[in-house]
Amino acid sequence: MSSLSYIFKRLLLMIPTFFLVMVIIFMLVRLLPGDPAIAMAGDRASDADIQAIRERLGLTQPMLVQFWLFLSNTVQGDLGRSILMRTDVASVIADRLPITVFLAVYSVVLSLLIAGPLAFVAALNRGRWPDAVIRTVFQVGLSMPVFYIGLVLLTFLAAQLRLFPVGGYGDTFGERLYHLFLPSVTVALYTSAIIMRNLRSAIIEVLDAEYVQFARAKGLPPRLILGRHVLRNALISTVTLLGLSIGNLMSGTLVTETVFAVPGMGRLMLEAIFARDYPLIQGLTLTFALLVSLVFLMTDLFQSRLDPRMRLQ
Amino acid sequence: MKLKTVLGVTVAATLALPVAAQERGGTLNFARYDGSRLIDPIYADRNPDIWMVGSLFDTLLRGSADGNSVDPGLAESYTVSEDGKTVTLTLRDGVQFADGSRLSGEDVVFSLDRARNPDLSPWAGLLGSINSVSADGNAITITLNDPDPTILSMLATFNTAIVSKAAFDAAVGETDQDKSAAIFAVTAAGVGSGPFYLCGFEQGASMDFCANENYWRIGADGEPLPYLDSVHFEIVPDDATRILRLQAGEVDAAEFIPFSRVAELESDPNINMQLYPSTRIIYSPINTRESRADGSPNPLADARVRQALNYGTNKDALIGVVLHGAGQPMSSPLMAKATQYAADLSPLYSYDLEKAKSLIAEAGVEPGTQVTLTTLAGSADDATIFAALQQMWGELGIELVVEQVDGATRGAKNRSGEFDIHTYGWVNDVNDPSQVVGWLGYTPTAKAVGTGWENAEFNKLFEEAANEMDPEARKAKFARMQELYADASPLLFMYETPFAVAVGKSVEGYVQTPLGNNIFDEATVSR
Repeated sequence: MSSLSYIFKRLLLMIPTFFLVMVIIFMLVRLLPGDPAIAMAGDRASDADIQAIRERLGLTQPMLVQFWLFLSNTVQGDLGRSILMRTDVASVIADRLPITVFLAVYSVVLSLLIAGPLAFVAALNRGRWPDAVIRTVFQVGLSMPVFYIGLVLLTFLAAQLRLFPVGGYGDTFGERLYHLFLPSVTVALYTSAIIMRNLRSAIIEVLDAEYVQFARAKGLPPRLILGRHVLRNALISTVTLLGLSIGNLMSGTLVTETVFAVPGMGRLMLEAIFARDYPLIQGLTLTFALLVSLVFLMTDLFQSRLDPRMRLQ
Repeated sequence: MKLKTVLGVTVAATLALPVAAQERGGTLNFARYDGSRLIDPIYADRNPDIWMVGSLFDTLLRGSADGNSVDPGLAESYTVSEDGKTVTLTLRDGVQFADGSRLSGEDVVFSLDRARNPDLSPWAGLLGSINSVSADGNAITITLNDPDPTILSMLATFNTAIVSKAAFDAAVGETDQDKSAAIFAVTAAGVGSGPFYLCGFEQGASMDFCANENYWRIGADGEPLPYLDSVHFEIVPDDATRILRLQAGEVDAAEFIPFSRVAELESDPNINMQLYPSTRIIYSPINTRESRADGSPNPLADARVRQALNYGTNKDALIGVVLHGAGQPMSSPLMAKATQYAADLSPLYSYDLEKAKSLIAEAGVEPGTQVTLTTLAGSADDATIFAALQQMWGELGIELVVEQVDGATRGAKNRSGEFDIHTYGWVNDVNDPSQVVGWLGYTPTAKAVGTGWENAEFNKLFEEAANEMDPEARKAKFARMQELYADASPLLFMYETPFAVAVGKSVEGYVQTPLGNNIFDEATVSR
């Protein structure tokens, strides 16, 4: 099967997935106590005011009708109007999406830059002190909550040493790299801990494999062995893990974006939930779902490149 | 040559004198806990919106510094007729909107008609007494259906601020809401006459106010206010990050400082830790209905039990652990001390464990009776309040259990009566006690803040006070309402807190009023 038709098939499979996501999020938001009318009108509004807002928002219609409207409008590309922001959900998300995607990609790149070399050092020094130090440090990193790491980094690197700004997210690409460094590192420390452990054991496994021993016996230079044989084979399981951790990373943005005051989709999601902004919560969930699905698809494509034994089907 | 130089220096020094006396220009960077969404006087319904209205718009009258009367605003003079049913105001000559267009009587009529339209504004009820508004040149006439003692205060309140009719006529949109949203989506120089106009807006992230060069109020140097060129707001929801940004010098001020950090910031040489007096009260409504929402009997329906909980609560200890001392116990059961007509009933239920125990015994409450306190999830203050109350009321044999919810859920529970006790707070929007008393005690509108408490005498007094034009008689009615309310205890009366704002040493003149309004009119920043 060619990659193009494989991609097409995968995209088709997303349709039922998305339908399920829509059903679940539609029901979940409505199961929360309180509703947008109460959140919007405030505690002081009269019951009649609230009823009027409910009617205006179409919340008094039967559930099935509401779901049908949500479904048919979404299919036509209309995500509705945000109650909180008083504007189109699609345009609100379009404003925030680039920031969150930037943060996510930046975090992944940093995780790989941190985890990759250290995994090699640890694996090649298996059982000796560098291995022990690296593993211990990452273990500590893994067990600390993200918001706490964030605050510690902010306090020392930004507020005291003034190496980085505490807030803001910059306008140009360069400024973004600088402003979003601390939030990205915060997220990256967690993901890199997971990746490092996995990559380290994968490398160790590959190093022991017979084909590597054979390559060594053949007298190939170590750099070639590591690059061509070890890294490529060790990466296969790590890529899967990286893909899976994108989901975690996305949910991590809820916390990171709040602590670092980055106006991305994660913080928007929190605000939307507090305001019971049904259309915005639904729109954001679909966007997150789309991002995660695309990442999974890319992971699979990349894996088949790394390992020709994995046929696309 | 030499003489010329000396002369030149002297002239320059003389010219420079008024400038040196009054710092002007620059941008003040301000870190906020939450962002504005729509700073339209009539749609502003959340504090982050309401508290900014005064920076972009003017009201006909302005609240006086002590909060107990009004001063001229857009109207340079006003009179109330003998029968209390007509208010006549004279507009100040030559007031301009920030884009230079003239503010006229037509704008006043348009704005007040908008503000009292119940189909548009959630605040229309506050202007229910108005029958008509008309303008003849600079003369504005407001006729009332009934005498209304609050009308002057209302004309100094955010929702009656004057907007430009022309700006709304020109705006794109079918409904007033759409037009408003369109006007405030970007820059809005033509809509208001306040000291600033909205000149940048990134929903949920940042906002900019630029100085209105046509503003009518004059500063200390004889030139028009404001002193600043602009104010840049950034939303930093996390308390710790907001403080760090100030400490790193990235912003000049940070609002809503948690009280646990106040002492530390007071000792920071680069920071002025300001505690502005407020009308904010923190209290907890108690469900007074005979039975709970699930049908089980409600022990709190007995006023003696509610009194016992009030006696059994050590307010000073609460203020110590929650506010780190930055607060005071409520002295009126219905309003903050700074509110007009606030009765001083202090000490209001001072801590008396023996009295609390005997009241509990008298009411026949079984030891081990469970009461649920509904708190806001994620609120450090609420968590501390719960822990303290659990311990204090344990002495009375009350077993306090916690339920943590978010704001919308708490609001829904307050409406449906599905709670025993929940934490709550209030800040006055109007310089008059009627709003807060109507909210906390009057049954027909808000079920006495959801407690279900109902007292015929109280309701009658409240209705009478609404048309009572004699200040002394009105004061007496409010005094009686406060007595009745204190005795019935539909609330756990807790404390008043100031507004804690940390500002850099370079900032002078920023004020947050007791109503919470952020005032940048006379603020300066030196770089």
